[in-house]
Amino acid sequence: MVVGEITEDKDIVVIGGGPGGYHAAIRAASLGRQVTLIEREDVGGTCLNKGCIPSKVFTHFAQEFKKTKHLKEMGMEFGEVVANLSSLQNYKNKKITQLRAGVESLCKANKVEIVKGSASFLSESRIGVENGHEFSLFNFKQAIVATGGEFQYPDGIEFDSDRVLKEKEIFQLEEIPEELIIYGNDYISLEVATIFSILGSRVTLILNGEFPFDSAISKELFRQLKKQKVNVIKNSTLQAASQAEAKVTVSMEKGNGEIVSIEGSHFVASGKVKPNLSDIGLDRLRVELTEEDYIQTDREGRTSIPNIWAIGDVTEGPSLAVKAIKQGKAAAEAMAGLEVEVDLQFVPTVVQMSPPIACTGLTEEEARRAGYSVTVCENPVRGNGYAQLTDEKDGFVKVVSDSETDMILGIHMMGKGAVELITSGVLGLEMAARDEDFRFPLYPHPSMNESLLEAVEGLKGDAVHMPPRKEELAR
Amino acid sequence: MEVKLHDIGEGMTEANINHFLVKVGDVVRADQPLVEVQTDKMTAEIPAPFSGVIKEFTVSEGETIPVGSTVLLMEKEQKQYGGERSFPQTTQVLKKRRILASPYTRKIARENGINIEEVVGSGAGGRILDEDIFLYMNGESQSVPVPVEEPETIAPAAPIKPDAETIPFRGRRKQIASKMSQSLRTIPHCTHFEEVDVTNLLAWKDTMKTGGKSISVGAYFIKVISVCLKEFPVFNARLNEQEECVELQSHHNIGIAVDTEEGLIVPVIKQVERKTMKDIHGEMKELTVKAQEGKLTMKDIKGGTFTVSNVGPLNGSIGATPIINEPEVALLAFHKTKKRPMVNERDEIVVRSMMNVSMSFDHRVVDGGTAVKFTNRLRDLIEEPQSMLLELM
Repeated sequence: MVVGEITEDKDIVVIGGGPGGYHAAIRAASLGRQVTLIEREDVGGTCLNKGCIPSKVFTHFAQEFKKTKHLKEMGMEFGEVVANLSSLQNYKNKKITQLRAGVESLCKANKVEIVKGSASFLSESRIGVENGHEFSLFNFKQAIVATGGEFQYPDGIEFDSDRVLKEKEIFQLEEIPEELIIYGNDYISLEVATIFSILGSRVTLILNGEFPFDSAISKELFRQLKKQKVNVIKNSTLQAASQAEAKVTVSMEKGNGEIVSIEGSHFVASGKVKPNLSDIGLDRLRVELTEEDYIQTDREGRTSIPNIWAIGDVTEGPSLAVKAIKQGKAAAEAMAGLEVEVDLQFVPTVVQMSPPIACTGLTEEEARRAGYSVTVCENPVRGNGYAQLTDEKDGFVKVVSDSETDMILGIHMMGKGAVELITSGVLGLEMAARDEDFRFPLYPHPSMNESLLEAVEGLKGDAVHMPPRKEELAR
Repeated sequence: MEVKLHDIGEGMTEANINHFLVKVGDVVRADQPLVEVQTDKMTAEIPAPFSGVIKEFTVSEGETIPVGSTVLLMEKEQKQYGGERSFPQTTQVLKKRRILASPYTRKIARENGINIEEVVGSGAGGRILDEDIFLYMNGESQSVPVPVEEPETIAPAAPIKPDAETIPFRGRRKQIASKMSQSLRTIPHCTHFEEVDVTNLLAWKDTMKTGGKSISVGAYFIKVISVCLKEFPVFNARLNEQEECVELQSHHNIGIAVDTEEGLIVPVIKQVERKTMKDIHGEMKELTVKAQEGKLTMKDIKGGTFTVSNVGPLNGSIGATPIINEPEVALLAFHKTKKRPMVNERDEIVVRSMMNVSMSFDHRVVDGGTAVKFTNRLRDLIEEPQSMLLELM
């Protein structure tokens, strides 16, 4: 390492060019600040390069593949449909490159300077950036730490193999695994399970805990996994996973203490995200951390060092790009003296599996624990005309409300279109909507939107396409 | 953030920027005076709405600006890291955490440094509306949701003739109108009259003047009223219907109604009971000049406990039914002095200088008998200036 003699003066430095970092950088630039974005790998971060985007290429691919049966049923004539993962990889890489170029040109258009290298704080106003043998020094006025997270895995997994994989590696496969064993109970595990079962793998999903959903969603989820022939092993803790030739062996401890081993062709583990803080020199600054070693921030994202903010996976809360993006923009605005607030109360949780899941607000169980007198309505998608004609009849919309005030507390959906439709729910919850606030507006017909409308109407037994309740029949 | 010129009361519509009390770059505390403004009737200081740094003046000294204009820009004090846990885990959201306000309303609260959790909503089902934030900011929050229903104007009684001249009905005129209506609406007024022989007082005044000590009869009246108030404290009081009591005020703060070009205004001489006639005379002169020149401050016109209207010098009117300066209990008007033939104790017709007084009082608080005793005592003290010697402390 050669220490440069020249220190450049910068205004704002953003460390990390993931979704949080680049949103922060562009927002700060649009507010008139001079911004330097430091990224050691590719702009776009985990989300664009290894996470959300690659996985969504796969979920989209699987869902389209699944449709072919229905297309033939409607009269589209074509020969055998083959899922070619090698071509899919090309497609994926092309899309990632395009999107990354888009982010880079947006940065350029906003005069955000991108510096390649690994950053390390030297003091509260000075940072070093190492890029190969080059080392640059910057003085800064304010900084945003957006270095993201790294996945951590249970001990016993021998990853140095082409069949024992981390989640990001599964989306680099060029062949469909014969027998895929998945360990994890998060959205990534569920997406991977349905993708590969649709594409023809025999899938085993090992769960080491409960699903983080409303009980109705979890129940339907198990039914859907069973229907899709995913072998689910509940309540088990992974002991070891290793490869021997073309086989992987996975052993786990079941709830009753029994040790069980299963074999497959591939194994993938979904890890837990831990903040990337080790090599950026924050320990030198004595920045305050939480008990779980996230950077402690206030409502604006400011750390215990007044001119340094932290956003995304380095802060506590769900490890989601939606959080990082919101925090990034808020941090930039706070630096510009605007009053900001990040409130993740109604953050949407989505799983782009087949059928997709999207939720916001309180689950029925949480609402009861919080002391509300709860009314719920579950409206099956089957009753929706548009779902019938598109043959996307799986799923339901469940609405949780407070029967004392009619306030909507939570919305939980499973079914085609849920990920787009959940925004109506998020907006309603943010506006503190009551049932009539959902019932009064007009919903396009025919469309999936009507499933949400009728779920709300059903809270008072008024949904036309739902069977009357027993007490109503008794009248 | 912008610091604006607000209506500081009395229905002002505009103000002149006298001078700034801070400089750009100054660090100021909340409530610290930033700028002195001059309205048509008083000077006032605009305080800092929050602690922060002065960034820029958007008006200059000497400029006249309408209410609502931005006077200067301030930046909030750099908030230090609060250290609070920023993100409650989504699964642990408690019932009370739910804020019943739209994100737009939340932003208004944020930008004004208001913790929205402290605001009580007046909207449907306790929803917090923009207005609730503004009320909270003005300290008029929650407890008093007074829906002031403006009666709808149906049709003007007579259509305004196109050639009719109009004069503006706003600012102080409007303020006077609302105060007068308010007083008449709440107080059952009763007015009685008395005539007072001021011949001896005028002679005494001349004697004093010859001795080089000018004292106005107005100053004498004020002092006499103070003596009477000491004996009849119920006239130096205010009625508190809620608490079911009459609050006797400890000081005699006597307001003097002054007629100015823009309309009536009432500066107050504080603690008259502790002041000499000479002090009162000086202060009256000073306040009258300030009123005429529109230089009264908020301090000058606040805190009155009794009001005097001395219309004598206007050389007209022998009686009136004055409207009480609510929430005071009484008001006394002194009319013009005129030489009239009077009958003395020996049944002779003599020429005396006579003055009428009109006294309005709140009949909820006192009755006519007490009021007459009050004006009798007042009359005696004016007719015999030497009797005031007995009141020396």
